[in-house]
Amino acid sequence: MTGRSAFHIRRSTLNVRCLPAFGGARGDQGSMFKLLRLKLRLNLHIMFKFIHAADIHLDSPLHKLDYYEGAPKDEIRQATRRAFNNLVQTAIAEAVSFILIAGDLYDGDWKDYNTGLYLVSQMSKLRQAGISVYMVAGNHDAASKITKTLRLPENVHVFPSNKPATHTLDRLKVAIHGQSFATPAIKKDLSLVYPTPLPGYFNTGVLHTCASGREGHEPYAPCTVEGLRSKGYDYWALGHVHQYEILSHDPWIVFSGNIQGRHVRETGPKGCVLVTVDDRGCPEIEFKPLDVIRWEIVTVDSNGAESGYTVMDRFCNRLETLLDENEDWPLVVRVLIQGETPAHRDLLANIDRWSNEIRAAALDTSGHRVWVEKIKFHTRLPSSEKDLRTRDGAMGELVKLLDEFAEKPDLLRELSDELIDLEKKIPKELKQGPDRIRFDDTKWLKSLLAQVRPMLIQGLMKKEDAQ
Amino acid sequence: MRILEFRIIAYGPFTDKVIELSGGKQGFHVIYGLNEAGKSSALRALRNLFYGIPERSTDDFLHPYGKMRIGAAIQSGKGDVLEFVRRKGRRNTLRSGDDKTVIEESLLNKFLNGVDADLFVSLFGIDHADLVRGGKEIIRGAGSMGQVIFAAGSGTSNLRGLQEQLKSQANGFFTPTGRKKKINEAIGKISNNRKVLRDAQLPGQQWAAHDQALNHALAHKQTVETDLAKKRRALHRFERIQEALPVIAKRKERLNEFRTYATAVRLPQGFRDQRVDLSQELRVSENDRDQARNSTEALQKELSELQISESLLENSTVIEEIHREFGSQHKAAGDRIQLETRMSVLLGEAGEILRGLRDDLTLDHAEKLRIKKSEAARIQDLGTRFERIVTRIQTAREAIPTLTHRIAGIDRKLEKLGTARQIDPLKHAISRAEEYGALEKHYGKERSEIRSELKTLEVALGKQTLWSGSVEQLEGLPVPSLETIILFEDQNAEAEFKCVSLKKDFEKIERTLADVERQIDELRLQQEVPSEQDLQKARERRGRGWRLISPTLEGKPVLDEEIHDYIKGVGDSKTLSAAFENSVRKADEIADRLRREADRVAAKAKLLADQTSHNKERDRLKTEIDVAEKAQEKLVKEWMRIWQPAEIMPRSPKEMRAWAQDHKALAAKAKEIRERQAKVDRLKDEIDVHFKSLNQCLKKLLEPHSTEGETLADLIQRCKRVIRAEEVLHNNIKQLQSEKAQRKQELAEAQARVDSSEQELSQWQKEWEQAVLPLGLDVDAVPAQANAVMEDLNTLFGKLKDANILQKRIHGINRDADEFAVKVSGLVDTVAGDLKELPAGDATLELNRRLTLARTAQSQRQTLGKQLAQEQSRMDKAVGRIAEIETRLKGMCEEAGCERYEDLPEAERKSEKRKQIEAELNTLDERLHQLSAGATIDDFINQALTVDPDDIDGEISRLTAETETLNREKSELDQRIGSERTELGKMDGSARAAELAEEIQLLLGGLENDVEQYARLKIASKILNQAIERYRNKSQEPILKRTTELFKQITGGSFQGVRAEFDDTGQPVLVGVRPGGKEIVPVEGMSDGTADQLYLALRLAGLQDYLERNEPIPFIVDDILIKFDDDRAVAALRALEGLSEQTQVIFFTHHRHLLELARKNVDASVLIEHTLNV
Repeated sequence: MTGRSAFHIRRSTLNVRCLPAFGGARGDQGSMFKLLRLKLRLNLHIMFKFIHAADIHLDSPLHKLDYYEGAPKDEIRQATRRAFNNLVQTAIAEAVSFILIAGDLYDGDWKDYNTGLYLVSQMSKLRQAGISVYMVAGNHDAASKITKTLRLPENVHVFPSNKPATHTLDRLKVAIHGQSFATPAIKKDLSLVYPTPLPGYFNTGVLHTCASGREGHEPYAPCTVEGLRSKGYDYWALGHVHQYEILSHDPWIVFSGNIQGRHVRETGPKGCVLVTVDDRGCPEIEFKPLDVIRWEIVTVDSNGAESGYTVMDRFCNRLETLLDENEDWPLVVRVLIQGETPAHRDLLANIDRWSNEIRAAALDTSGHRVWVEKIKFHTRLPSSEKDLRTRDGAMGELVKLLDEFAEKPDLLRELSDELIDLEKKIPKELKQGPDRIRFDDTKWLKSLLAQVRPMLIQGLMKKEDAQ
Repeated sequence: MRILEFRIIAYGPFTDKVIELSGGKQGFHVIYGLNEAGKSSALRALRNLFYGIPERSTDDFLHPYGKMRIGAAIQSGKGDVLEFVRRKGRRNTLRSGDDKTVIEESLLNKFLNGVDADLFVSLFGIDHADLVRGGKEIIRGAGSMGQVIFAAGSGTSNLRGLQEQLKSQANGFFTPTGRKKKINEAIGKISNNRKVLRDAQLPGQQWAAHDQALNHALAHKQTVETDLAKKRRALHRFERIQEALPVIAKRKERLNEFRTYATAVRLPQGFRDQRVDLSQELRVSENDRDQARNSTEALQKELSELQISESLLENSTVIEEIHREFGSQHKAAGDRIQLETRMSVLLGEAGEILRGLRDDLTLDHAEKLRIKKSEAARIQDLGTRFERIVTRIQTAREAIPTLTHRIAGIDRKLEKLGTARQIDPLKHAISRAEEYGALEKHYGKERSEIRSELKTLEVALGKQTLWSGSVEQLEGLPVPSLETIILFEDQNAEAEFKCVSLKKDFEKIERTLADVERQIDELRLQQEVPSEQDLQKARERRGRGWRLISPTLEGKPVLDEEIHDYIKGVGDSKTLSAAFENSVRKADEIADRLRREADRVAAKAKLLADQTSHNKERDRLKTEIDVAEKAQEKLVKEWMRIWQPAEIMPRSPKEMRAWAQDHKALAAKAKEIRERQAKVDRLKDEIDVHFKSLNQCLKKLLEPHSTEGETLADLIQRCKRVIRAEEVLHNNIKQLQSEKAQRKQELAEAQARVDSSEQELSQWQKEWEQAVLPLGLDVDAVPAQANAVMEDLNTLFGKLKDANILQKRIHGINRDADEFAVKVSGLVDTVAGDLKELPAGDATLELNRRLTLARTAQSQRQTLGKQLAQEQSRMDKAVGRIAEIETRLKGMCEEAGCERYEDLPEAERKSEKRKQIEAELNTLDERLHQLSAGATIDDFINQALTVDPDDIDGEISRLTAETETLNREKSELDQRIGSERTELGKMDGSARAAELAEEIQLLLGGLENDVEQYARLKIASKILNQAIERYRNKSQEPILKRTTELFKQITGGSFQGVRAEFDDTGQPVLVGVRPGGKEIVPVEGMSDGTADQLYLALRLAGLQDYLERNEPIPFIVDDILIKFDDDRAVAALRALEGLSEQTQVIFFTHHRHLLELARKNVDASVLIEHTLNV
């Protein structure tokens, strides 16, 4: 967004478009233009800043981190709270005029009222700094029990859920439009009935929406970029999608993403959008990271690595690059080792050992700032070195059997019989969600089988002195 | 595959070590190495050869990584040979024999038949540790059949261990009923944490309830506090009045008393104390004055008694000086005595020396004898030169006879040795012949091998059918090429196939045709199916009838014959009408049937059509069969024709293909033998040539000609001995000659030295004569004499010098003593005439003593003077103080209005009383002020007097009770407010619940990984067990059968074999069987040694079973017999010998006795020995 001319064009087209709506109520076209020109000449806007954030999910924990000696446990404690604290601090430090929160303050099924009280304490800090907060309830908030009883300080304004509403800040000439979710699953386009923009005001819309649909996010309150653009607002603060994304530059239509990644599907920097509106009413935006620990996926290419140690070296190099890219931010990493390597057998026959090596290397390289969440070995032997071609003798029998299991889904499923006792006992969390364990899933069983193969062959063939 | 040659080119301690392994059929190779290091390196090299040298190999101590090489030539079962070199590196490590061209690993893999590195080590290798571990595993596993069979078939000695490990690791993670297992524990913790989390979570309503209760309590507390304040005020008023009443009464009493003392003087604070202090001080001062006076008098008396000599004190400095000087004088006197003694000793010694040199001189004239330093040096130098010249002459003279003698000796030796012979041609001949000497052995071996192979070939040729001829004819036989035969085979098969299939088709069509005819017959037999023609006929008959009846009805005439004919034609009728009726019924019947039996009619029609078409097909096939049979005959004729040149009556192409293949192999063998024979013949010719040339050389040297049976190698050895002997002789002569020349040179030099030295000596004598004159010596005096005189002179002058120094010091001491005595006598005259007679030393001491006494007295006088002054000043002070005190006491009397000091105490008492009453009144007023709560005292007193004292207690107790009630209520409210605030305080936005949720996630993270690991272990366990069971089902029988034989053999018959039994749980187990078959020994009952042997038997059985169906792979044995006694070791060696019929056996050992056992007990044609040395 540069300069006066762009703004001029947009303003005038907007007003021309809006004129018939106002014509009857406010007088003729000529007087409208006069008013607009007067305002522009007198430069009636004053510069201000605000923050757009969303999807706070307060007190939602980081998912399924396996603790090990030396893992940076302090870095993950109360991550969402500390990230929210960063939001409050940033707002105060930047001296913003107000904050827009586009839904999902809480996790829907989280019942602890303390979370609400903590929120109140933070909002009070903002009140003391003279910053007001405008927010809509998202699908999670609609499901939350905390929302129902919590009394928020007077600087916090929650939009109603039965119809859209508008708050105006007359000193800054700002109009904020929004509507909350009444129930967790809203399937209609809420933006359709948002109010028409107030002329002469900086109009922003706060909306919790899946936009035109985003993978991994429930399809709630769908809307289109065109639809939003046609509203004629100056800024759309969207929430619900956890990834920072700019849907449009003119006007700005932005997903701020969530403020703290909580699992491996929420990688990269997380934070809020700082919007600076200059004295001509032109907004500039800047992404501000707020997260206290960041999720990343480290893919290690093991192609041609002679031994596990080479793979380790490559992992360390990748990690160093990643740490540099993230300016030594604390990280949670998922490690994917893939490719064709002669070390495949050693890696898989000693998964425990190599996992520990990777964790130790990560601690060393990062100075205890990296938590290795999980290590996935997706390696293969190079085609020139396929294992055990013989199909005769006892070992041949074993290899044949392994091949049979790998090829026949029925046999694979039979393997899950071994796990029935365990399946009955494991907690529901492991059986839910996109990365759940399904004991009868042939894909899962097949991947285990691929790991069992070297375990057995190495285990049987191992000789201490053999080179 | 077997290894023909194993080359350790650069690896471990080895450089270019070649082990030839091509001997024997497959070969039982025993590789004996002295030290274990070399043996293990060779073993490793063998494994690395096939599968690459590991990245971090430790065998680079001699050859760096870049240079490491292992090579081999191997041969597959089909006879293909591969020669290759393995280098160390990451890729392209396999090269052809020239170490240049890269070879694909896949090529080598074909020879290895898919056996990878691990399997090679485990199935085709066994060492002592494996054996022991394997034996132990059998015992631990109680002979479990599955385990035993699988271990035998895979070579693993770790099976049971792995099974146990998988099981115990899985159990370590999870069991359905466990609590302490990792997964169980984590699940327990998670569910526990969930409970704690539920408790930690704060419901919103709870917070609201507490907030409301707090606000309510705060409001209530405010009203209670207002009420309480009111009651307290009333209560307080009554309490004040009650307290004030006695005070008012007391005040009245005190006012009355005051009147008595109103006139008394009010003395200031501390008046009495001041008075008492002053009186006391007065007494002290008077006392002080009297004491000072007494002291003054005593001191004055003491002073007057003191006496002091002033003249001594005036001269004190001089006295102290001479006292100090006296000390050094005393010491010097002692020193002088010593010095005199030493001087006289020195003079005595000097005199002694002088007398030794010259009788005529005294010490005073000794100076005449002093010589200059330059002269002394010259004499010493001449002395040294003399020694040198004399020594040189002597040495040279002694050397001459020795050298002459030695030269004579060398001449004698040379004469004895004689001259050397010319041997260069012989050397030359040997260098050419040597190469063939080495080949001679090879020639013998090759010749015998050719003979044996030729024999084998002839036998094979004899067995060959269809053709008989000589080996020579074999190669030239014009046999059609294999391709041609195969072509014929294919064509023949095709033709045959064509005939057969045509015939088959023909038969089939015949069968179908028969079937169709049968069906037609069937239809016919069921009931003749009416046809359209039948209906046509019936209708015609009906028409004919009508044409007869119609005229009849119309009354027209009809011929009787026609009617008769018609009736007859219809049949079964007597009249025309009956016949017509019959014909109408028949036509209808047919029409009805045609309609009713339309299916059958159609079927019949189809069958008839089929029959026609099948007939056509049959005819076509018949023709084709004829054509095919003719073609086949032609083919047979052609077949016969191509075999005619070889004059062979061929059999079927398939048979002839096998025959031709055999023939080809035989022809190839014949060619190979022919070529080898030619090579051998050439070799023999070369050997003979060299034999001859060597013999000629020997003849020239007059050495004996070679004898019968002497080989070329022997001859070469003999020639080399001749050369060595000749070379030794030659060297000896040369050495002696050179020694002789050297000695001669030395002799001439010695003679020259004698002459020159003698000249030098005569020159010296002249110089010497002049030099020793000043010493009083003549020319004959030797240098030693001159030196002795010079030394004495040195000593003499040294002593005289020392004596002179001592003399000077004594003189100085005497002079000092005289000066001191004069000083002392002067002083005595001045200060102490009475000491005049005393010697200077004693006088000095006495003067010093007197001076000390005088000084002590002077110091005492000063002290006394000071004390006296002090006492006088003390007295003056006391007198002054007394006057001052008396003045002040008089002032006090005036203040109190008294005449005398003694009246002062009474005045003081009255003053005190007045003050006391006034103070009490003040206190009472103060108290009343306090109680009046702001009113004046008089108002308050008036007010109090209005209240009836008897009502007060009642009012107070009523109000007290009321306030207490209110207080209790307030305190309860305070408590409630406190507790509500505490509750709300606890709800401070704490992150406790959130942290518990985090904890749960941490546990879930760990759990997820553990679940996967558990799943892997369980799956691994299941698959392993299935594989074991499958392999057992498949291989138990053949492996047990072989094991039985081998076990019997290896245990030397102490077991008859093994067999399967069932244990208590019904599982099959392996047991040993004693001879006779009745006694069964469970594996747990076997000794460790027997278990080892059982394991060995099983391994060999497993291996043999594998080799039955697969390409052989060499079996590498690493010293497994070290713990076997000799009998069992022999049995095991024989078992390995047996195995070597199936595959190459390479047995590494570093025990010589095992090598010897093998030598004695293994067939010499099978056993091939190798010695491994670095």
